[in-house]
Amino acid sequence: MSGDVTVPAVDEPIPAGLASPTWGGFDPRRARGQDLRDHWQGFRTAAVLGWQTEGNWTDPVLFFIYSVAKPLSAALILVVMLDIISGGADPAYLAFVVVGTALWAIVLAGITGLAWSVLDDRERYRMLKYVYVSPSDFLVLLLGRGVARLAVGAMGGLITIAVGILWLGVPFDPAVIDWPLLMAVAVLGLGALVAIAVLLAAICLQTRQESWSYPEALAGALFLVSGVVFPLSVLPGPVQALGLLTPLTWWIEGVRHAVFPGGPSSIGGPGSFWTATTGTQAPDPATILLALLATGALVTLAATGVFRVSERRAKDRGLLDQTTGS
Amino acid sequence: MSVYEFRHTASPQEAADWTPRQQLLTDLRSVGGRAYPRVTGLFREKSWVAFEILLPFLATSAFVFVYRALQAPPEYIGFVVLGGAMTAFWLNVIWMMASQLWWEKSQGNLELYFAAPMSIMSVLFGMAFGGMVMSSTRAVVVLAIASVAFGVQFAIEQWALLLAVFFLTLAALYGLGMMLASLFLMWGREAFHLTQLFMEPVYFVSGLNFPVGRLGLIGALALATIPLAVGLDAMRQLAFVGAEFPIGTPPPAVEALILVVMTVVFLFAARFMLRTLERMARKEGRLSVRWQ
Repeated sequence: MSGDVTVPAVDEPIPAGLASPTWGGFDPRRARGQDLRDHWQGFRTAAVLGWQTEGNWTDPVLFFIYSVAKPLSAALILVVMLDIISGGADPAYLAFVVVGTALWAIVLAGITGLAWSVLDDRERYRMLKYVYVSPSDFLVLLLGRGVARLAVGAMGGLITIAVGILWLGVPFDPAVIDWPLLMAVAVLGLGALVAIAVLLAAICLQTRQESWSYPEALAGALFLVSGVVFPLSVLPGPVQALGLLTPLTWWIEGVRHAVFPGGPSSIGGPGSFWTATTGTQAPDPATILLALLATGALVTLAATGVFRVSERRAKDRGLLDQTTGS
Repeated sequence: MSVYEFRHTASPQEAADWTPRQQLLTDLRSVGGRAYPRVTGLFREKSWVAFEILLPFLATSAFVFVYRALQAPPEYIGFVVLGGAMTAFWLNVIWMMASQLWWEKSQGNLELYFAAPMSIMSVLFGMAFGGMVMSSTRAVVVLAIASVAFGVQFAIEQWALLLAVFFLTLAALYGLGMMLASLFLMWGREAFHLTQLFMEPVYFVSGLNFPVGRLGLIGALALATIPLAVGLDAMRQLAFVGAEFPIGTPPPAVEALILVVMTVVFLFAARFMLRTLERMARKEGRLSVRWQ
């Protein structure tokens, strides 16, 4: 036996399924994989699996009700609070609250999606080790699983905004929307959100027991400092500064600025750290974009690094198939 | 002589024919046994304490800051803090009572419960007792920290009624949890999603952060069906005497009676549902099938 490996012509396609190549023998490309097509296939399969896991427990109508009830109720709590205190909600602040709550539904779904994918597969279905040893990239598969929950969250967020406009009196005029800014902050913001979700998934690979509540704990902490439903100016100065370091603050501010130009700012205003340090009432669109890009890039770099370290450590210590009974 | 001591019997039937004393002692041991991991877990798994306190405190703080941004009267901050403390019990009821039998099924313990020589009600009582102790620590800490941090001023005139309402609220809440445990088990995977539906939507209709009377008919329905709504409203009336409330909710004494009725109804319903479930478990054998 010579031990030589026959390498197929570069342009010869890899056969589908488990079939042998037409020329016989072993095609090393199959074991290598990891090209763009493989990533896409893995991502798509994981996304479909995630969607089915999320949605196949009931009929579509009930699934829709369950998906929108949570964000809608969260918005209604704040609307009633606003109404009780200000006696007929101020439309500008109403828009502030509804947009913040709707976007937060997406944040919560995004953060929870990836972390719970790890926990579901490890603790409940006990499939994580099999998923990990499959030829697809682990991170790509996780992202695919997380996308389904993110989509459910986005649906809830959009319905919340629609209800706000149609029934709660949120002033909305498509003609005044700054579409380029909205598109840019949407893309950058979602990227940053996915990075935060990856970071948390990396942490959940290492942890045990109460990991199920980590996404809500992290989201709760970020909720406080991101200007979601109240302006940062009511917080102490150092906490406001901390809030300016998270991309979610800039994402939410950017969306508000694009959809409701001239509305209240969550970052600037009287008594805010921003106004005290820059002398301006609120950040302009260019500043918002730049800040979102910078904070998003930092989080993405950190998430990638932490995930790779976590993955290596999980392999080293056998954490991928360790269930903790949580 | 211990009731568990071995005794010779003529037949297995005679061995299984326990005296009322044996049954009672076994059930009490079961209550203690099921409460034990929840109480002991408080001290063994310290990260639980952090997350059990951190989560509701963060959520409470956010709503306090909303009221501050709106320059609301100070008693509204108190309403939020009291609501935040009571969420500890609600979350415990939903996640660790209502969903618990379903979790046990997923982990393969449920069939052991049904096979053990005890009343399943004692398992539920044990879960409830352990959960109350666990959540009380969390509620007290959240109430204490938030009250100090946000300067909440309580104005209490009827301490006895306030304490009575608090304990009745717990009894009704955990009675509801015991009833839901059977329902959630039957609903299977849907139950997990139902827990999500039992959070923000219930917080909204129960007036967790504002007086429930403001919701009109929805608030009245919540007062008639959800222990959290009626208990919280009564406690707010008793803990913030003189505060301006939207009119329309009953006085605390009437709400205490509503809680008594809820407790009795929920406990009887829980017992009935458990018996039905036990019969189904024996007849259909579906309750040992995991992840459904």
